[in-house]
Amino acid sequence: MLVHIAGPWSPLLGRLTLSEVPYSNPILIGTFIFAALVAILVLGATTYFGKWGYVWREWLTTVDHKKIGIMYILLGLVMLFRGFVDAIMMRTQQAMAVGTHAAGHLHALHGYLTPYHFDQIYTAHGTIMILFAATPLLVGIMNIMVPLQIGARDMAYPYLNAVSLWMTVAGAALVMVSLFIGDFAHAGWFGIVPVMELPYSPGVGVDYWMWAFQLSSIGTTLGGINLLATIVKMRAPGMTWGRLPLFTWTSLSANLISLTTFPVVTTVLALLAMDRYFGTHIFTAGMGGNLMLYNDLFWIWGHPEVYFVILPAFGMMSEIIPTFSEKPLFGYMGMVLASLGIAGASWGVWLHHFFTMAGSPALNSFFSVTTMAVGIPTGVKLFNWAFTMFRGRLRFELPMMWATAALFFLLVGGLTGMMNAFTTNDYMVHNSVFVVAHFHMMLLLIVAAIFGAVNYWFPKVFGFRLEQRFGKIFFWLFAAGTAVVFIPMFALGFMGMTRRLDYIPYVQWGPLLNIEVLGIVLYVLSAVFLVAQLYVSLRDRNQNRVGTDAWGTSRSVEWMTHSPVPFYNFAVTPQINARDEWAWRREQGVGDRRPDRYEDIHMPKNTSVPLWLGLLSLGLAFALVWRIWWLAAVCSIGVLALVVIRAFNSDTDYTIPAAEVEKMEQAIHDVP
Amino acid sequence: MVTNRWMHWLRRIAPFSLAALSGCAPHHMMQNFWLLNPKGIISDTQLHYMKLDVGIMLLIIVPTGLLIVWTMWRYRKAGGKGRYDPKWDHSNAIEAVVWGIPILTVAILSYYSIKAIYAVNPYNPSIISRSTSQYAKVAPLDVDVISTDWQWLFIYPKQHIATLGKLVIPAGTPIRFRLTSATVVNDFYIPQLVGMIDVMPGMRVKQSLVASHTGTYAGFSAVYSGPGFAWMTFRTQSVSPAKFHSWVQGVQKSTQHLSYADFNRVARPTINTTGKATYFSDVQAGLFDHVIMEVMNGKIFPTPMGMTESMSKYLTK
Repeated sequence: MLVHIAGPWSPLLGRLTLSEVPYSNPILIGTFIFAALVAILVLGATTYFGKWGYVWREWLTTVDHKKIGIMYILLGLVMLFRGFVDAIMMRTQQAMAVGTHAAGHLHALHGYLTPYHFDQIYTAHGTIMILFAATPLLVGIMNIMVPLQIGARDMAYPYLNAVSLWMTVAGAALVMVSLFIGDFAHAGWFGIVPVMELPYSPGVGVDYWMWAFQLSSIGTTLGGINLLATIVKMRAPGMTWGRLPLFTWTSLSANLISLTTFPVVTTVLALLAMDRYFGTHIFTAGMGGNLMLYNDLFWIWGHPEVYFVILPAFGMMSEIIPTFSEKPLFGYMGMVLASLGIAGASWGVWLHHFFTMAGSPALNSFFSVTTMAVGIPTGVKLFNWAFTMFRGRLRFELPMMWATAALFFLLVGGLTGMMNAFTTNDYMVHNSVFVVAHFHMMLLLIVAAIFGAVNYWFPKVFGFRLEQRFGKIFFWLFAAGTAVVFIPMFALGFMGMTRRLDYIPYVQWGPLLNIEVLGIVLYVLSAVFLVAQLYVSLRDRNQNRVGTDAWGTSRSVEWMTHSPVPFYNFAVTPQINARDEWAWRREQGVGDRRPDRYEDIHMPKNTSVPLWLGLLSLGLAFALVWRIWWLAAVCSIGVLALVVIRAFNSDTDYTIPAAEVEKMEQAIHDVP
Repeated sequence: MVTNRWMHWLRRIAPFSLAALSGCAPHHMMQNFWLLNPKGIISDTQLHYMKLDVGIMLLIIVPTGLLIVWTMWRYRKAGGKGRYDPKWDHSNAIEAVVWGIPILTVAILSYYSIKAIYAVNPYNPSIISRSTSQYAKVAPLDVDVISTDWQWLFIYPKQHIATLGKLVIPAGTPIRFRLTSATVVNDFYIPQLVGMIDVMPGMRVKQSLVASHTGTYAGFSAVYSGPGFAWMTFRTQSVSPAKFHSWVQGVQKSTQHLSYADFNRVARPTINTTGKATYFSDVQAGLFDHVIMEVMNGKIFPTPMGMTESMSKYLTK
């Protein structure tokens, strides 16, 4: 039944042996020491300050959508750092390994990374940046802001929300474990078959990739269900569809995508698992397998996923630009249609990821046209942002700087995107670094929007603004780094350079690769200023406290409650009267009116079940990776048992009496 | 015709935009931009359409970029001269334009994209088959390509010869490739002659090209196929038809033969770090189809476990 695998296997430890710990590789030893020091520091500090109770009650077992969102964002930042270190290693390896005379270190023929090590690094970079950095950052911000924007108390399913978080954390943890035990996949973040099949990937790397992917995709699917239900069912009275803030609209569009496409990737990875565990021939080259099917199925998820991450970013820009233009968003209905249009079009473009797979000209023509058609709603959005600024009164504070940077990244990414959609161009640059530079422009657009949104909404969540001076230095260094890394990369695409080369066979590519390293240096410097910005912000938090409306010109519902937001969000569920409710109230002069009377508030109770589900899922995935069947069985039973036990628990909520709400509100108002 | 005037104008501005993209490098450096220096009909056509595409896009992108910069300057709060209108959020005329421009652009680009796809269709490029040029009259040369882990085998079935790591073709002659892989997927790519096409195990794809000049051009695999992937390069030599003829005769004298049994030895995982070429005569007839059949029946050339751990150790062995 089970497929035969190369190498030793024991019932107790499966494929795991001591030699799977890469203690001979100085890079990984260094990483391990660094990770261990950070862990000791964090755990030690928690113990020293006696904060374990606080961490357990307020964070690990919470179902508060804001705290869950913050943990998503922390996870995203940690993984962003990991992905960034991977990027540094790739850039330096390529710059060092140019031509046959390039020196080799640490067992590498050229440069300092052996092919398998380098291949794992770019695979990890892609997997991490998409699934464990961009997605958690965006999901985190959606988690915090969407309920606030629609005047809700929490998500529709607070417990499920925590399950989503801990599933995603489990996936990220599995990727991190692969650093120190065994190895990671080497065939790209989207999985190139049949390289991913057992004969060409006999180790555990692909299994790590596969199960980490599965965990995160379960988390994202559940999160999608939750956000959709929240937006559809939890809107405050008066919050009609025509008044929904744009960020909520884009979140809705994005989660329509995630709900409909993530099950596809879950299925395709399960099929790949059948090949690797049971020896089926679904995606193999021979024996009736069809490797092209993998590409089809994967990208039916993969391209919508791209829009799943870009739509919330567009939403953030649509919130920031009106606030700092001091006027409403231009063409609201057009923007809504464009968001839904992008979500819809995302389903019809997947084949452009394999234009070079020798499809018929008619087939390639169809997908070339549909891909270009995505440019229509995207173009509309770009123009509408420009006209939002037109006749405005623009203040270039940090969130606005990031939003406008995102606009320019979109211009470059859009131009190059339209080039790739033009099929014959794609034949020339399909697997080249030109395409790599293109999608990095689009992803950096997302990163810029995220940094804009973090600066924009930080005071809402924490009650104080982020520091501006270091923040601006970070912005400019980041922008400069982007230019210095990616302009040469576009040029290298025209020089014919392709992706994933651990060794550079053509020496003329060398000089531009060296320039890219300079860009990486700028990125490293920028990261230093990001840390400085966060540190100074935290140190000087008392000087930077804000009222309900941190920017004075904000427009939507989330700015109507206190900063920081109390755990029950709104003292009284707001009645919505206009599209930009807060701007409307400001104009009517009723912005600071307090409620006449308070009501009981119904809230969900904390639970530790999601945390245990996450840990057990991590154990299950680890057991499957190493084929430790008894552990897999124990963890599966544990997961099932927990889910069933939780289902019979009816004591999941509580009520805050109106009098207590009034007392808490009074306390907030009394703070000078 | 309107489109012709359009095209004429576009052709004049497009090269500048591409030059700007590549950093305005001096001439000898521009030679390194392989995609901008096509040496064959297919790559020529591809570049032609790329210029068209970029030109049309720049007509939209540049004014939009300028509009945004101008708006940012004119309507800035600190000292901007623009009139502030806090209520202005809708205009039917502007919204029509805002939807109209992208729709029109996409329509025009789609037309050219489809035209281009048929022109360079790997299975039957209309740019060759329908052209009135001399190439349509020359008898094409058939070459069968098999990718292994991690080398390229080129079989000339009519000449009964094969080469490993080097492709020699006569200039001015249409080349018709049939391609397959013995192991995993690779991408066949000669930047100055022809775009990428996936080379897949157990399947046959086709590709076509005509080299319009003599010269040596780099070719390599463009999609990751395992640890030896970065070394999976081959030289493409485009020579005069007479020279090609004598080269074929030379290879036909090679003492190395290539039966399917020999192929199984050649196809074992090999990283050719020196770029050395090998020549075979007396190639088994129908070898290409035989390899496809064997792969379909489950033949694999697995990557050894040792290779996944330390390639340098493996290489020095």
